This record gives sequence, C-alpha cells and structure tokens, in this order.
Amino acid sequence: MSHFRTLAKRCTFLARSSRYMSNIPEDSVYGGPKPQNHNQRVTLTHLRQKHRMGEPITMVTAYDYPSAVHLDSAGIDICLVGDSASMVVHGHDTTLPITLDEMLVHCRAVARGAKRPLLVGDLPFGTYESSTHQAVDTAVRVLKEGGMDAIKLEGGAPSRITAAKAIVEAGIAVIGHVGLTPQAISVLGGFRPQGKNIASAVKVVETAMALQEAGCFSVVLECVPAPVAAAATSALKIPTIGIGAGPFCSGQVLVYHDLLGMMQHPHHAKVTPKFCKQYGQVGDIINKALLAYKEEVTNGSFPGPAHSPYKIGSADTDGFVNELQKLGFDKAASAAAEAAEKIETVKSPGAL
Amino acid sequence: MSLFKTLAKRCSSLARSSRYMSNIPEDTVYGGPKPQNHDQRVTLTHLRQKHRKGEPITMVTAYDYPSAAHLDSAGIDICLVGDSASMVVHGHDTTLPITLDEMLVHCRAVARGAKRPLLVGDLPFGTYESSTHQAVDTAVRVLKEGGMDAIKLEGGAPSRITAAKAIVEAGIAVIGHVGLTPQAISVLGGFRPQGKNIASAVKVVETAMALQEAGCFSVVLECVPAPVAAAATSALKIPTIGIGAGPFCSGQVLVYHDLLGMMQHPHHAKVTPKFCKQYGQVGDVINKALLAYKEEVTNGSFPGPAHSPYKIGSADTGGFVNELQKLGFDKAASAAAEAAEKIETAKSPGAL
Repeated sequence: MSHFRTLAKRCTFLARSSRYMSNIPEDSVYGGPKPQNHNQRVTLTHLRQKHRMGEPITMVTAYDYPSAVHLDSAGIDICLVGDSASMVVHGHDTTLPITLDEMLVHCRAVARGAKRPLLVGDLPFGTYESSTHQAVDTAVRVLKEGGMDAIKLEGGAPSRITAAKAIVEAGIAVIGHVGLTPQAISVLGGFRPQGKNIASAVKVVETAMALQEAGCFSVVLECVPAPVAAAATSALKIPTIGIGAGPFCSGQVLVYHDLLGMMQHPHHAKVTPKFCKQYGQVGDIINKALLAYKEEVTNGSFPGPAHSPYKIGSADTDGFVNELQKLGFDKAASAAAEAAEKIETVKSPGAL
Repeated sequence: MSLFKTLAKRCSSLARSSRYMSNIPEDTVYGGPKPQNHDQRVTLTHLRQKHRKGEPITMVTAYDYPSAAHLDSAGIDICLVGDSASMVVHGHDTTLPITLDEMLVHCRAVARGAKRPLLVGDLPFGTYESSTHQAVDTAVRVLKEGGMDAIKLEGGAPSRITAAKAIVEAGIAVIGHVGLTPQAISVLGGFRPQGKNIASAVKVVETAMALQEAGCFSVVLECVPAPVAAAATSALKIPTIGIGAGPFCSGQVLVYHDLLGMMQHPHHAKVTPKFCKQYGQVGDVINKALLAYKEEVTNGSFPGPAHSPYKIGSADTGGFVNELQKLGFDKAASAAAEAAEKIETAKSPGAL
C-alpha cells in the first residue's frame, strides 16, 4: 500500500516536471541526491513556448568550457557545438576535416561548462551520410559520449530525411539545416547563398517541411534571401533559426568567434561573413593585451611585487644561501641574497 | 664534377642558415619551392642570443588556431601548447585528465595558426612517467603528429632526468619544469608553491641543474620564491622561464586565459592565480557582447538590412510566390510577398 503511494507520488511528480526529450534524468537516484533545479535546463518545451508566444530564440556556437560558460551566463537559449569548430578552432578552410572523436571532445568540454542552455551537437561530415544505420550510431554517440541534448544534421535529400526520421525514432531530438549547407561545398561550388531563384527557393521550403514531417523540432535556414526564409517560417509549425537569412525567422544563430570579432588579423577580416554583426572587438583587445604583456616582460616591470607572492622566510633564506655556498654555487648564493634584499627594499614604505 | 659543386653549394647554404634543432627542413625540396623565410620561425639560436644579451624571453600558452594566430601577431617568442588545456579548455579541475590524442589535436591546431613563435608541446600526465621508452615515444608523437618544435616535461626525479636525456638524444629539444609541477598535485597535496624552506629551495636549484646537464635548453620555474628563482637562474647557463617565480628569471610565461581575464564568472575569479596579471578583461567584453546579441535578436533589430545581404530578384520573387500558391502554401506565399515588400521599403530613401 505504501509502496503504491510512493509510486503514485513519484508519477505525479514526474508528470508535473517532465522535461520533453531531455536526456538528463529527473533525479540522480543512483548517484545520490544532487541539487538539481528541474527548471534549469532549457528544453524543447521551453522553445515551443517561446515560439508560440512569438519570442525569438537565441542560439550561439561554443566549442570549449569557457565559451560554454559565457553562453550560460548570458542566458542564451541554445548552445550549438558546431562543426564550424573545424574552421574557427582548428584553422581549416572548411568544415570537412573535423572527425567525430574531435567533435565529441568539444561536446564534452561544452557540457561541462553550460548547465542551462539546450545543448545541440553537429553531426560532422562523413559520419551520417552513407546509411541510416551510420546516422543513428553517430547521433547516439553524440548524446551518449558527448553529453548533448540533441543533434543537428545538414541537407534535405531523401536519404537525409530518412536518416533524420530514424534518429528521432531512436529518441534523439533533431534540428534540420537547409539553404547553404557548408558540408556540401563540393557540390555547391563554395560557400554560396541558396534560394536565389524560383526552383531553389521552393526547394528550401519543401525540404524544411519534409524535415518537419520527419520529426525535427526546428530547422536552421542558412544564407537564403529574407522572403524565402519568411515563407519557410510561415509554412512550418516548428521554429526556424536563421543565419544570413534575414529577420523573419523564429530565431537567430551566429558563430561565437564571428560575433565577438575574435580574429583581428587582416586575412581573417576578409573571411568574416557579411551577415554577421560584430558585437565586440575581442581580437583587438587580445592583441593589445598580449603586446602589453610582451612590453612589461621585456622591460622587466612584470612581475612586480604584487605578482610575486611566494615568500621564503629570512631564516630559511640565509640557510639557503649558506647551502648554496657549501655546494660551490657562489654566484647563485649571491644572486639569492641580492634578490631577497631587493624584495625587502621594495616592501618598505616609500616604495610601491 | 657539377654534382660535387651542387653538393658543396648546398652544404654552405645549409651551414649559413642552419636552424639548430628545428624540425622544419630548410627547403621543401620534395614539395616544390615554397616562399620560406628562413628567419621566420623563432629557433633555439634566437633564444640563446636573447639570453646572452639579457633580453627577457616571452612565452604564452595557446590551444587552438585563433589563440596561436594572436600570439604570432603579437610577436611572442614561444608558444606553449600546455596541458593546462585540461583546465582552461576542457573544464577539468586538474591537468591530469587530458590525453595525448587530445593534446595532439591542440598541437596541430596551434601549428596551423602560429608560424613565427617557437612551438612547444607539453607531455601530458601518464604519457612519459613509466619508462624512458614511453617518454621518447610520446615526445616523438608530439613532434611528428603534433607539428611542434620541442617538448616540455615536468619534474626532477632521477627517472625524469633520464627520460629528458633520452629525448634529447632522440633529437628532440626539451624544456624542463621544476618547482610546482601541476601533474604531481597528488603527492604535493594541491597547487602549492615550492622552495619555501632550505631543503626544498636547494632541491629546486639542483634539479634545474640536472635537467641542464641532461640537455634541456631551458627550464620553467613555477611558483617558487623570487630568491630561489634568482639562484637557479644564476646557477644555470640556459635560460629560466618563470611563472609565479618573481622577476629574476630569464623570461616569463602565463596562461592565455588568465592573462586575458577570459573567465568573468565569480567562481572563476576565485581560482585565478594571484601571480597572474590580467592584461585585459575579455570575459567582461564577451559577456556584454552576448547580452547585446541576445537583446537585439529578442527585440528583432538583428538582423537589420545591413546584415541580410542575400537577395532574390523581383521576377523570381513573383514566380516563387506563385509556385507556393500552386502548392497550396497560401500563408507562406503571403509571408514571402510581405517580406519582399518590407525589404523594399527599408531600402528606399528615408529608411536606413
């Protein structure tokens, strides 16, 4: 009887705070009690509510612990561990070279840092295209080993739609991605905007709808004209998240390094996308900071007393100097004695 | 005869521009001519010259392409791919969890970004302690697969000195590391400064000298009192590079994220080392930038016309709207038409 009541209690409790398609259990029963705030992690339910109320969804990419913490602190809705890491973190010219194992390392680091945003991991090039089986296996690894809440995959070919459906059926939430799909630059002939003629524009809308049909909870629209994005957003029940797709989407996404102006080298300024607004000039700040550090080390002002905190007592200092002399290190002994003196002088009133 | 002349020419050319213990060939013979500036990469010779002239050596850590590019632009002498990545990139509490494969990924990304600084890769915990054989194998991988110019290993135990010697004999330049050695926190009982009593202070100097004897070209001194660092620096012929070791070393090193103030979360402010000066407040800038992005997406002002560059011609727009209607997507058709109008209005004089 009491067992039944406990079960009943737990069921209503779970029903009250159920988090739709999230991979974190309600209660870490086996690991012991953890202070889990059930409303902490952004879930599909939260996103659905935002979409229904017409509130734009925010998404930014992150690739490591610090960037994930920054996104969490800023209250960004979705944190995407993008295969753009291949370019902005690893320095390749395309998103193709990054491997699944490398993506999983990024995912884990991000998962450690971001406790609030929904975590989405990209399926990298070559890990989901050859069969539905391969796609499901990869998606499983991204959640199981990468600690993500959902995955994103690119494209709208029939095989891709089938793969998306199978992944959803495996219990993994999927974001679709149409328009410019960077993994396909080989057939696209470069990073070229899509949907600029009738046939292409209609295709964008149709593939977005097919992905919705397959069970995706959202679709990213990349580099398409604004009216095309508006049409897709209107035709879909699920939210669209745009990048270089104009203001009529249900949400927006940008690459971390681009929005922060992380790269200030002239070469990189040329390759910054024109649809991306720089909300900071972090690259400039980094450059100035490094130059200041170099200057201060070179002229000897760093480290000053404030940044040389570790002391050796005067009795020990003397003993140390004696030991060095006994060992025959006379120069070293005087260097130590001089250094101890200099520090004493600086500490006395009048100095610093 | 002409073969002999060619050989003679090549020998003198090599002798003139020999770069001591650098792993980049003078000339990319097999790959065809590349515009290689022989003076471009910082080498052991350059460092030796700086040390002889009393010019402080600058070293900063980097873990990916952008940070490497920043160090290169700022003209930092040495770029260290530190196992501190375990903490600042991956979010662990210590440097222990990072694997060699993960370090190699960091090394490769850095090698792509930094063409000028000397590249040094840390040997991570667990990859060089059990045998000299293991140490040499790991060091080889860091150069062969990681693209580094030299390696750094921690500690001064006899087995460690032996390992350093074997690595140098394998033709790989080595930086030693004494004082606080973070991989040893298990026996040290935490991140505790060393050399604070006579015995410990003498040990710092002696192990540094033993590492020099083994063939190291430099030694890092971490978290020791300034007089102890002064003694070691004086006793050694090779340069010392200090961190939390006062101003009497031959050079200084700091962790990228610490010197830039990358983390602004209160938790991280508490764990920032006290010997590190923050030359920037990058974390603050990032936080403000992300909040501004979130604000503009939420209130609909981003993306404005300046950041919605992709257009569909008006003829195609008309055709697109018709197609959508034919397919039964009436709402989508009107959304597209409306969007096209709004953009036209925004473009006309009076508006942005």
